[in-house]
Amino acid sequence: MRLTPRQRELRDHGTKAERTSMRLLSALGEIYEADRLIRIASAHVAGASYKMVGDPGLEFIEDFARDARIVVPATVNPLGMDLDRWREQGVPEVFAANQRRIATAYRRMGVRESFSCTPYLIGNRPKFGEHIAWAESSAACFANSVLGARTNREGGPSALASAVTGVTPNYGLHLDGERHATAVVDVRARVRGAGFSLLGLHVGRELGEGIAYFRGIRGTESDLKWLSASIASTGDISMFHIERSTPEWRSARTKGLPRITVTARDLRDVRQEFTTGADADIIGLGSPQLSSEELHQVADLMEKNRPRIPVWVFTSRGARDVAAASVARIEAQGGRVLVDTCLEVTLIENVSKTVATPSGKAAVYLPTLCGQKIVMDDIESLFRRYAS
Amino acid sequence: MSFLGGVDRESGAVVDPASDIRGESVAGRVLAFPHGKGSTVGSYVVYGLAKRGRGPAAIVNGRTEAIVATGAILGGIPLVDRIDVSILASGDRLVVDGDAGTVVLPEVTERPVVTAFLRNKGRVLIVLRGERVGTFRGQWSGISGYIEGEEPALRRARQEVREETGIGEARLVARGPVIRTRLESTVFAIHPFLFDVATRRVRLDWENVEARWVRPQDLEGIATVPRLRDVLASVLPDARPAGRGPGRPPARGGGAGARRGRRGSRRTGGSRRASRPGPAGPGRASGP
Repeated sequence: MRLTPRQRELRDHGTKAERTSMRLLSALGEIYEADRLIRIASAHVAGASYKMVGDPGLEFIEDFARDARIVVPATVNPLGMDLDRWREQGVPEVFAANQRRIATAYRRMGVRESFSCTPYLIGNRPKFGEHIAWAESSAACFANSVLGARTNREGGPSALASAVTGVTPNYGLHLDGERHATAVVDVRARVRGAGFSLLGLHVGRELGEGIAYFRGIRGTESDLKWLSASIASTGDISMFHIERSTPEWRSARTKGLPRITVTARDLRDVRQEFTTGADADIIGLGSPQLSSEELHQVADLMEKNRPRIPVWVFTSRGARDVAAASVARIEAQGGRVLVDTCLEVTLIENVSKTVATPSGKAAVYLPTLCGQKIVMDDIESLFRRYAS
Repeated sequence: MSFLGGVDRESGAVVDPASDIRGESVAGRVLAFPHGKGSTVGSYVVYGLAKRGRGPAAIVNGRTEAIVATGAILGGIPLVDRIDVSILASGDRLVVDGDAGTVVLPEVTERPVVTAFLRNKGRVLIVLRGERVGTFRGQWSGISGYIEGEEPALRRARQEVREETGIGEARLVARGPVIRTRLESTVFAIHPFLFDVATRRVRLDWENVEARWVRPQDLEGIATVPRLRDVLASVLPDARPAGRGPGRPPARGGGAGARRGRRGSRRTGGSRRASRPGPAGPGRASGP
């Protein structure tokens, strides 16, 4: 891999953080056979929840922040708690103290004051064709598929190194030739709402890896957020195309590709399979965090059916502030709207054993990360089922 | 090797119950393992070990992936990959040069040998090594012998075939990449060959006491010299038993040749990318 004189300068004579970052990106570039480092428009960093990174992560992030300053717009993934309402979440004092130290370290580096897994909804929205370095599998998949930006599924440290240096190794999904479809998915079912989560779970598992080319679906941006999150949870998949819909479908090259067919029965089976619990303690909405429009929808549903079990709604500070009226309506119906964190990276296990959720990503990760059983269904059905 | 949950971050002790070096400390030693696995938080664990002075002095991998590479860079630990770690043993003294990407075992000698398989109508010849040979007595093998000096491996293979079987006419079908195996302080660098022959009539010399013509899949249940099935598979790919994934890195890169650095390996240099797809890059020094 070739480095420019400026990149070599950073590697050899930059600050400690710059030297570490440049060496890390060079080494990863060698591993993945990149030819050079390319400039990025933004970074999105993962590894902020103390629950996820623990003391090893806290130690590294604090040390790194001593002389690290980000040079491109950068956002960071959710923390392990709402910075204001952590006590209501049942988060212990020690955890909260450590979590605050991580948040402070990221702030010192200059990242946006927002801990979100939906950076594209809160102002970090890449343009078509832009190179970016994003961790967070759901956001990387959304950016590639729906926005036509270009990123590999970065790890926490590599995305951070890119934020500090403004470059990323040029390989994988940064290259035209690596963005073609690898399988055609014929959807023979009417997919709506939570169906996009089910579709993602099913196809991610069927394909395992690669780039899916969907036929027979059409979704809103919100629908594709759920599809992105779930397909990246069961598969090593960071991009899909949708025929006549997503920005790069025309260049997907589907000739001669293997095909799979998805039926309504497949989606029903997936929902049943991921439903491992019978009676939920809590309704969890998030993973990824809800948009302001989705907050409106939740408020409407809760006013129609006031739930008899707690409802935790995870969103970003940005979306919460835009949808302040809906947030007030949700809270008036007994719900809690939490920010800075998300469903599976917080300590939901301190308050629940079984979570009801429409999120495919949550259905994958809550059992392993939080020891939860799952009741999976679309949001309307869940509110009907748990109406008081 | 998973660092998260696998290594104690304060002491450097290996605590993974599934590890064959459980209880050993990685601190200040060269840590060799095929490849990393598990959580990405493992990168931070490597960093924390290094910061406390309890990290490995160097890491040697068959195939490095992002978690270990990231940890090594963050912790400033030299790392060399694409080394066949199966020939390393706990307690070996290693000289690791992260800048050059080389691993040298000064106390281990490399002996280049040939192993030739003869094939006739789908069966291959194996021979039982007798009590008078120096190594691997009582084990089944192909036709084998030491390469002397600078002689070409192929010439040695043909000569061993003549001496050990009495068969003069053998048509070369394939030769495989060097495969290494360890016996105490010797590493045998095996050059595999496959010849077609027109007869099954074999006249053994003093080295072997029995000959058999077997189907390749029959090797499964036979007590053979180390890695014989790998050697056969390298020249007869269909012979690889089902269920053996591509996980084992092909021996290459001069990992353990005495005083032979990876890049200095005459026999294998330059073939690295060609013969193994997937992630792997030259080791990079990551020290400050």
